[in-house]
Amino acid sequence: MKILVCVKQVSDSAETLRINKTATWIEYAEKTVFRMNRYDEYALEEALRIAERYPDAVIDVLSVGTERVRSTIRRALGMGAHHGIHIMRDEEGYVSAFERASLISSVARNRNYDLILTGVMAEDDMEAQTGGLTAAMLSYACATNVLFQKSTNCPVEIYVEREIEGGGRECLTLKLPAVLTIQSGINTPRYPTLSHMLKARTAELDIIDACALGAIRLPGVLEKIALTPQGGKGEIIEGSPSGKAEKLLEILHRHSLV
Amino acid sequence: MNKKVYVAALHEKGQVLQETYETIAFAHELNKGKIALLVLADEDRILPLAEQLARKTGLEVVGLKGSFLKEYCAEAYTKALFSYLKGKDPAYVCIPHTAQGADFAPQLSVALGACCITAVEAQERESFIRSMFGGKFRAEIRACTQGAVLTVLPGAWKPYDKAEELPGEISIIAFPDEIISTIPQGIRESAHKNMALSVAEVIISAGRGVGSQENIRILRDLCSVFSKSALGATRAVCDLGWLDYTHQVGITGNKVSPKLYVACGVSGAAQHLAGIKDSRTIIAVNTDINAPIFRVAHYGVVEDLTTFIPLLIETYRKRTKG
Repeated sequence: MKILVCVKQVSDSAETLRINKTATWIEYAEKTVFRMNRYDEYALEEALRIAERYPDAVIDVLSVGTERVRSTIRRALGMGAHHGIHIMRDEEGYVSAFERASLISSVARNRNYDLILTGVMAEDDMEAQTGGLTAAMLSYACATNVLFQKSTNCPVEIYVEREIEGGGRECLTLKLPAVLTIQSGINTPRYPTLSHMLKARTAELDIIDACALGAIRLPGVLEKIALTPQGGKGEIIEGSPSGKAEKLLEILHRHSLV
Repeated sequence: MNKKVYVAALHEKGQVLQETYETIAFAHELNKGKIALLVLADEDRILPLAEQLARKTGLEVVGLKGSFLKEYCAEAYTKALFSYLKGKDPAYVCIPHTAQGADFAPQLSVALGACCITAVEAQERESFIRSMFGGKFRAEIRACTQGAVLTVLPGAWKPYDKAEELPGEISIIAFPDEIISTIPQGIRESAHKNMALSVAEVIISAGRGVGSQENIRILRDLCSVFSKSALGATRAVCDLGWLDYTHQVGITGNKVSPKLYVACGVSGAAQHLAGIKDSRTIIAVNTDINAPIFRVAHYGVVEDLTTFIPLLIETYRKRTKG
């Protein structure tokens, strides 16, 4: 079984982020902390569980980005992935899901993965497209928002349950090769082990220059990014903490709630 | 705009979804001219669905009929929509951003060779606005290709409501049997439906800002101040294991409509907000003034809930004693 897990490195929180000078993307601060996209962590854990069922399974982990994403690739190796692939970009800046998927599918195309797993969305751009686009570019089957999978009949097919509105599940069986995008809560991701982390630290990564993968057609352009304006119709209660508590109780009383 | 804007009309159990009518409203805002609604189903359902749409909107409806469309799957929908749209040169293809819409839209965009922009919440002269970084930032994205596929965030538009005298024109196109490799195997109902949440008059809800499982007790204390109250949670809190998924409030959790919803340490992700918007009064307690929750809350308190909530309870108890 050959499995690819696509992971993204994201900033730990949006707190330190500002808009860049041209308002075309955000700017990271010196003190910005990065980590693996939560949804990709669930995807990696699910891949590790599938691999536990198939002793000869190999898990490649891949990430697109500048040099800093290598720490996230190494963490994935620390969790138990076998090989790391870094599609290296020189510059920071907005990378559309389409571009990411083009890069991923260029690399994956000849490597014959049975399964490609990735998170349902990235916590930063929230586009929820990369998995679906990659599947279409590779002509793989695809199921998104997966909350359960059963891999007893791989590499022929896989049974999955997708989460839908109201908390119900859409059940289906996909023929492999397939892309699954994973929803949070499917499992509890493991911590990296010491022995894996030691190996991960010096593991040789497969580093591929994004530019060398050929011209990527960009079908959409991000014209501007800005801070979302605050200001709803609500009232922010002012005063000292005890003053606010009093005012709030007053409001609740007026609404006949206390 | 001379070209047509197409809307994929999603439905469930024989009923067109509200999100579909919201998407139609978006399409109408984009292009007051030609709009065509595409509905996909098998022989049994296609005509009733097409008629529902035609009567309610007065717009042109095209029914794509096939036995392989009896149950939803991305492969079937992508194949049928691509087959129909490939010669049509659409201006845009609009799809509700539901679990289904988000599932097939990117794949359809690749088949059509078009740009895909997801979770659109506003538009201005064909520049599409969507949230990033949990709602802290908004991006404006423009399509560089014709016929871009757009998915529309549920709740961002009011449902299309045009009192038309005449129902729209319906045409049904029968598709030959497609061989699809996906085998749909039915829908399972949620295991986490919670009657207590659905009937509660007051819901005190925990977001990730609560900080730890131990701090949930502070919210339980606040619950006891009110009668007919229940404890809710965001998905993040349930994923962390601090509360069971039966407490989850949001699109994939429980939809609630209490008299009072108190969001504690909840940042306000779109999917959570969509589940609480029918609450009569929403109060938010959060240390971050920029948290999206404050845009929908009726009253906001910028404080640390671990100190403020106990203070609130204490103040209440003093009042009722005196």
